Amino acid sequence: MSQHEADATQGGDDGEIARVPSLVPGLDTVLCGGFLKGGIYLIQGPAGSGKTVLGSQIIYSRAAAAEDRALFVTVLGENHGRMLAHLRPMRFFDPALVPEQVTYISAYQALDEGGLKGLAPFLLREITTRGATLMVLDGMSAVDSKAENGFELKRFTHELQTLASATNCTILLLTTASSATIAPEHTMVDGLIELSQRLYGVRNERRLQVHKLRGSSFLEGEHAYHITREGFAVFPRIEAALATPTRRDAPPGERVTSGIASFDAMLGGGIPAATMTAVVGPSGAGKTTLALQFLAGSSAAEPGLLFGCYEPPERLRLKAATMGLDLAAAESRGEVEYLWYPTGEHVLDRLAHQLLDAVRRRGVKRLVIDGVSGFQQAAVEPERIVRFWSALSNELRALQITALHTLEMAELVGAEVRVPVDGMSSLAEGMVLLRYVELRSRLYRLVSLIKLREGAFDPTIREFTITDAGIVVGAPFEGVEAVLSGAREAERRAAAAHPAAAEAEGGDQGAPPSRDDTTRSG
Amino acid sequence: MPTVLIVEDEFAIADLLEMALTDEGYQVQHAANGRQGLERLAEGPRPDLVITDYMMPILDGAGLLKAMRDTRAQRDIPCIVMSSMPEANIRERVTGYAAFVRKPFQLAAVVQLVARVLDVSGPES
Repeated sequence: MSQHEADATQGGDDGEIARVPSLVPGLDTVLCGGFLKGGIYLIQGPAGSGKTVLGSQIIYSRAAAAEDRALFVTVLGENHGRMLAHLRPMRFFDPALVPEQVTYISAYQALDEGGLKGLAPFLLREITTRGATLMVLDGMSAVDSKAENGFELKRFTHELQTLASATNCTILLLTTASSATIAPEHTMVDGLIELSQRLYGVRNERRLQVHKLRGSSFLEGEHAYHITREGFAVFPRIEAALATPTRRDAPPGERVTSGIASFDAMLGGGIPAATMTAVVGPSGAGKTTLALQFLAGSSAAEPGLLFGCYEPPERLRLKAATMGLDLAAAESRGEVEYLWYPTGEHVLDRLAHQLLDAVRRRGVKRLVIDGVSGFQQAAVEPERIVRFWSALSNELRALQITALHTLEMAELVGAEVRVPVDGMSSLAEGMVLLRYVELRSRLYRLVSLIKLREGAFDPTIREFTITDAGIVVGAPFEGVEAVLSGAREAERRAAAAHPAAAEAEGGDQGAPPSRDDTTRSG
Repeated sequence: MPTVLIVEDEFAIADLLEMALTDEGYQVQHAANGRQGLERLAEGPRPDLVITDYMMPILDGAGLLKAMRDTRAQRDIPCIVMSSMPEANIRERVTGYAAFVRKPFQLAAVVQLVARVLDVSGPES
């Protein structure tokens, strides 16, 4: 044993390096827990991508929550007064933290007079004398300009890395350099985060990508982010964040009532619990009505959520009330919640995270996603949508949620049945088709179950009506085979052209089912 | 103020220690390996403390300490050994050092340790 036992190591002999969560919503998920304490990270992106906001949010959030002492070092950039003025509207900004916990200094003179060799001791002195545990150096591109060659910049970055580790001060370097070329400092830092912006038609979407993160796994690929007065928020790409559901899926066993007794009978006893059921149909066919009846089965033990992109909550409340569904009372008891995100320029992954947050917050068990196409419209990369839904559906199942999602078909009537979102049909355990059929100058509403993976179901096509009490499923629409496919119409035309042949064959005249067979739903 | 000889092949660590100890008012010399360290010791001035890394090219920390112990004029210079290996591994290979620092280290703790070692061994201040 030495005479002096040095307590100079980081976190024990062979212990893991502690994490420094960024406290930026979503970013720590991408970073699988945050930065490593005493690490050095490069955050790069073009002007306007939000580097300064990101760096500022991290230091203010950590200063407030973790009582870190942070240094914001500028070189050639916004003066501190302007920077603070720009940060003032941001929710994370707290002027009370300045200057004790958040200190702004300029390193311009040290760099100008001493070059990179003068900058390192300057930063070391500031970090140690102020006891800083977090430092943002805004202006690495200016440091780069001052470097005589790539080697000098690498050497400086390596010195900073050693300095960060030896002082336990996590360092974030902000730079405008692009990752298109491998800059010397890229190889030296512990992590590299790139911010970018891309136009999709006229629409802009911001993206964050982690290129490297030493000593840690991270969510690869691009993740959307946005900057509002709430600050910087990242929306981890659903397929990456939920590549494996957050909990183990328990196979469904029970049935959940749809809220319509006659429809439950078609389903063989109700909707299988913890499954996804697609309700497909044209506009006005009754998708939302069916969904509201399902939602009305919510209770304190089975909280419900309607997550919609089309009909606003006020209209849904009115619609429910006209059917005698007391969803307003359930809403006031906290058993039902409506969340409405009208279609616009939404970020696809943001919508999904809002949905998952709402589901987890209240332990939702009955979920209606009213308008899958709202998600589809938010997708700037349509090829993602199937993988996206697959990951989201798996998570919802693992959370033991029974979900109905509505899909609107473009065709009001006609033979063609096309699921509006490619690949969606394979992702749901159940699929309900609501259709209009024109027969003898009258429109009928028909319901059929296209599939139900969990158990037997009634495969007949039934008429249904929407009454003051909601959906009422009737008897099988007997004797009108081929109406849905359109073959019936072809047959009728052929008969009109050759009446004698048609009479000899006999056949059904397409009479609608008896109203006596109609069953009222509960 | 006392003089400290840093024997370290990793320039960033040597630079960092030099910056920190210079800030504390120490005179600092630097050698990049054990042999260069012995040359600095032979050239003088005699340092009050040697901080040496263990694993270095040409001549490692064990060789440096052994050579110092074999040289009458250097054997009483206190040494701090640094390594990324646990001290137990170092203790099997090196003896006669005053203190040990496991890498990665906390700079403030190293600076304090330097002061403590010099205080015990009676620096020329």
